[in-house]
Amino acid sequence: MTRLIGPALVAGAAVCIELILPGEAVYHSGWYNVAIAALVIVAVVSARGVFTRAKTLRSRWATVAVAAGTIAVGLAGVANGLFAPDNRNVVGAPGQRVRVESLGTLSFPLRNGDATAVTLERPLHAPVQIGARRHNSGSFMLRTLPRDVVYVEARDLHGGRLTVTQPQGAVFLSPVLLMQQHQAIVGVDVPFDSFNVPSAARVVKAILFNPQQAAAFLHDPSVAGGAVLFAVDDENDRPLPHGIAMSAGGREVSAANLRLRGEIESYPQVEVVSTPNLVVVLIGLLLLAGGLIALI
Amino acid sequence: MQRYLPWAAVIVVLAVAAAVATPYFFSQPANVSGPSGAAGRPAPVFTLRDDLGRSVSLRQYRGSIVVMNLWASWCPPCRAEMPDLQKLADADGPRGIAVIGINEGESPQRARAFAGSLRIRFPIWIDSSEQYGRTYTALGLPTTVIVDRKGIVVRGFDGALTLDEMRAAVAAATHST
Repeated sequence: MTRLIGPALVAGAAVCIELILPGEAVYHSGWYNVAIAALVIVAVVSARGVFTRAKTLRSRWATVAVAAGTIAVGLAGVANGLFAPDNRNVVGAPGQRVRVESLGTLSFPLRNGDATAVTLERPLHAPVQIGARRHNSGSFMLRTLPRDVVYVEARDLHGGRLTVTQPQGAVFLSPVLLMQQHQAIVGVDVPFDSFNVPSAARVVKAILFNPQQAAAFLHDPSVAGGAVLFAVDDENDRPLPHGIAMSAGGREVSAANLRLRGEIESYPQVEVVSTPNLVVVLIGLLLLAGGLIALI
Repeated sequence: MQRYLPWAAVIVVLAVAAAVATPYFFSQPANVSGPSGAAGRPAPVFTLRDDLGRSVSLRQYRGSIVVMNLWASWCPPCRAEMPDLQKLADADGPRGIAVIGINEGESPQRARAFAGSLRIRFPIWIDSSEQYGRTYTALGLPTTVIVDRKGIVVRGFDGALTLDEMRAAVAAATHST
């Protein structure tokens, strides 16, 4: 009996811990999944012996329940460990809808703090708002994490607003730069992005400096909220005279006959962590617990 | 009955295994991109200003079929398409078809001057922070979105349309409501 109960409980615990502490790399390692599979096999082989020796129908049912529960829980754990995708952070532009494989569609809000936060849409399910608290959606845990983006405005020298486009970005018409690329400037790793101002035939690169970097570059410790360095090129990517300016604290600056403003904002990204299927694990645990209670 | 118990357990376990593993083998395209991705969903409603500074919203057009045309003055295909949109507004306006030009990201003065130069009389809205461009995931300009009388997006188009294509799109929206 111990050779049935012991491995069954350890396998159950090994899978439950994937739900309690999701996202650890060890869950996808080969030895962890081989260990779960081995525990399941030992439990099933032991269950066969217990089943044949059982004298009552109740104990036979209980043995089958323990074995089935262990197999269900173990399969959920191993399937997650071997087949589920690695953890990832899904970055979406404001207003964008991003499909995530095996999960559904994440709909990103137009601005952070909108009543419509990041929404998960799945077939046959009601839409779910994803927030900072982890949400289990079956085989995945989701939560939002903040990241810095830059809201830019471009104006002509008369103050007339100009369209900002992002031909290389996730959304063509968007003044929000996601800053997903990185480069090193004097040994400092900084995120950058670029946008176009088609009516002025300008391509603008925007480099984001956090408050410490901005204070060091500007030699001004009072720069509190970071800064955005704009480098303006013509449409053939040739640098223009007087085409570099730094916008700190959302202030407007002039560069190459454009007036530019960069405001650093926090915007959600979604952390997607795969977990064993919650429904299957719960059913497995119920079978396991029920069988154990009936056996003991 | 007892001899079938293990087999019943095996079948249950196989079913569970299939349920657990199957989702990992279904792949989907990475992004829902382009204005056509909005079809079937309620059209987003933002309160904007028109080129004369008045507060405007799509709510005012509930009950009409709305042809929303996203444009900008620097976009040559937008300029080419505008006269046909005006013809559509003139011909089908009395039948409850509303054409709205939504300028993406420019100043009201620039939008008004552009519309004036082409003798455009349908409403021009100013979407300074490009909200409609973002929510319809416009791939470029112009982008045209047809909204039915209930406020549901019927179809989205990337690029300039001919007058015949506009009429066909509106006819489809008429039949859908």
